[in-house]
Amino acid sequence: MIKINNLDFAYKNTQVFKSISLEFQKGNIYGLLGENGVGKTTLLKLICGLQTPQHGSVTVDELTPSERQPEFLQNVYFLPEEVITEDTTPEKFIQKIGCFYPRYDFGLFNKLMGELEVDLSKKFNELSHGQKKKALLACALSLQTDYLFLDEPTNGLDIPSKALFRKVISQYCSDETTVIISTHQVKDVENLIDPIVILDRDDVLLNASFAEITDKIYFEYGPERIQNAYYTEMLPGGYINVLPNTEHMESNVNIEALFNAVMKNKETIKNLMK
Amino acid sequence: MNNTLDISRLGKVIKHDAMSFFQNLSLALIVLWAIPVAIWLFSSLTPGDGHMETLSRISIIGTLLKIIIILAPARLYKYCNDSRKGIGYAMLPASSLEKFISMVFYCVIVAPVLYLAGALAVDSVLTLIGGPYEGFAITEYFDKLAQLKHFGVESGFMLDGDYPVYEDYAKILSPTVLVLSNILGLLMLSTVFMFGNMVFKKRKTGKMIGILVLLFIVFMIVMVNYVSNHEQYFQQMCEENAAAFFKRLIYFTSRASLVIEAVVSVVMLWLTYYKIKTQKY
Repeated sequence: MIKINNLDFAYKNTQVFKSISLEFQKGNIYGLLGENGVGKTTLLKLICGLQTPQHGSVTVDELTPSERQPEFLQNVYFLPEEVITEDTTPEKFIQKIGCFYPRYDFGLFNKLMGELEVDLSKKFNELSHGQKKKALLACALSLQTDYLFLDEPTNGLDIPSKALFRKVISQYCSDETTVIISTHQVKDVENLIDPIVILDRDDVLLNASFAEITDKIYFEYGPERIQNAYYTEMLPGGYINVLPNTEHMESNVNIEALFNAVMKNKETIKNLMK
Repeated sequence: MNNTLDISRLGKVIKHDAMSFFQNLSLALIVLWAIPVAIWLFSSLTPGDGHMETLSRISIIGTLLKIIIILAPARLYKYCNDSRKGIGYAMLPASSLEKFISMVFYCVIVAPVLYLAGALAVDSVLTLIGGPYEGFAITEYFDKLAQLKHFGVESGFMLDGDYPVYEDYAKILSPTVLVLSNILGLLMLSTVFMFGNMVFKKRKTGKMIGILVLLFIVFMIVMVNYVSNHEQYFQQMCEENAAAFFKRLIYFTSRASLVIEAVVSVVMLWLTYYKIKTQKY
C-alpha cells in the first residue's frame, strides 16, 4: 500500500503540495487526474523515489522510496510521459533490465509485443512514437512489478492503440498489482480506472472508487439542464447533469463530467466525499 | 535482502553497464588508438630520418590515456543525472553503492586499462613492422624506470646537470614514488571527472576542464604571491646550498603531491557516491 502523509513539496519557490495525505490501496488501477501543472508527475516521482519530500512522508509497503533501495525498486516500474529509449531493440533492452526484477517474464514480453503489434526486430529509433510507447509498455508489464506508474501513457497513441492499451492493462495486471495512471485524457482510460484521484494545486480533491462516487453523486442523462447541478454539459441528444445522489439512485460515472464538477465545486465535493 | 551490497546484484549491474560500454566508448577508443598509427604513418612518409624516440611515444600514449580517462565518465554515464533520461538509471533495482562500484570499475579501471592495452599492442605491432618506431614502448617504460638516472635526465627532472645533485634527485624520485605518483595522478584525474559527470548536466567534460584551469590559475597566483613575499628567504636558501634546497623542495613536492592526489581521489569518490545516492530527477 502507498501511504502519503502530510506531504509538503516545492520546486525552489513553487509550492506543489502542501500537507497532503493520500492512500493508494493494493490491487487497484488508479486514475490520477488534474489540470496541467498540479503535480501529477511530481506525485508519481515522489512515490518512485525520484524526488524527496520536504516534509511529511511517502511509504510504499513500509519502505521509503527516496532511499531507492533495491527491495523497493524491484517492485516498481515508472513509465514516464516522454519516450526515452536506448539505441537498441526492445528485446535487448528488456533483457538488459529484466534480470533485476524477480517476476520478469520474457515469454510475456514477446506475447505483449505481439498483442500490441510492435515489430520485435526493429530498434527503438526505427519505431514511431506510438510504437515506442507500446514497446515500453510491453517491457513494463513483462516485469510484473507490484506497482506500475504510467505518466500520460496514451499520449501519442492512435485510436486502435488506445484500445489495445486498455486491453493489455486490464488483462495482464494481476490482482496484486497497483497501477497509477496519470492522465488528462480521461476518455482514454474510461472503463479502466477505478478509483479516481483528483489533484488540485496544493490539495487532493477526490480519492474515491466508482462505487463511493456513485453512492454520493448521481450522473443524470436527460433532455434538460438542471439548475442546482454540480455541473451540466450539453451532449449530443441532451444534457449530462452531475447531481448530489440524495435518493441513492444508480448511475454510471462520466469521468469528464465528474472532473469538471469537482473543479467547479471543490470544497463542496471534497466535503461530500469525506 | 541486503539493500547495500549484494555480489550477485553487483554482477548484474556490471553486466548491465557492460552492454552500453562499447556502444558509448568504442569510437573514442578507436580514434585514440588510431592516433599513434597516424603519427607512425606521417613519420614513415616524411622525408628524412623520421626516427621516433620511445619516450616520446610513451609520452603520447600517456597523454592519450589521460584523454580517455577524461572522456570516459561523460561517454559512459552521460545521462545518469539527467532529470528525464536518467530515470531508467535511477530506477534500476540496485543499490547506490552497487551502481557506484560499477561506475568506478568502468571509468577508473576498464576504460584506461583497455585503452592502454590496445595502445601498447598497436605500438608493438608498429614496432614489429619497422619504420620510424624502434624498441617497444611497453618494455622501454619499465627499462627506464629501472635505470632511473636516465629517466630523470630525459624526463626533465634534472635541474642543473650537476652530477652529485642529480644523484640525489634519483634517490628521491625512486621508481616506486614515480609509479605511485603516475597511478595516483591518473586516479585523481579519473575521479575528478567522474564527480564532474555527476554534478554537471550539460557540457560536463568542458565545464570540469574549465574549473580545473580556473583552479590552476588561482593556485599559480597564490604560489607566485607566496614566493614573491618570501623572495629573500628563497634567495638565501639558494645562496647557502642550492642543491640541498632543491632536494628538499623536490622531496616535499613529490610527497605532498602523493598525499594530495590520494586525498582528492578519496574525496571525489565519496562525493560521487553521495551524488548517486541523493540525485533528484
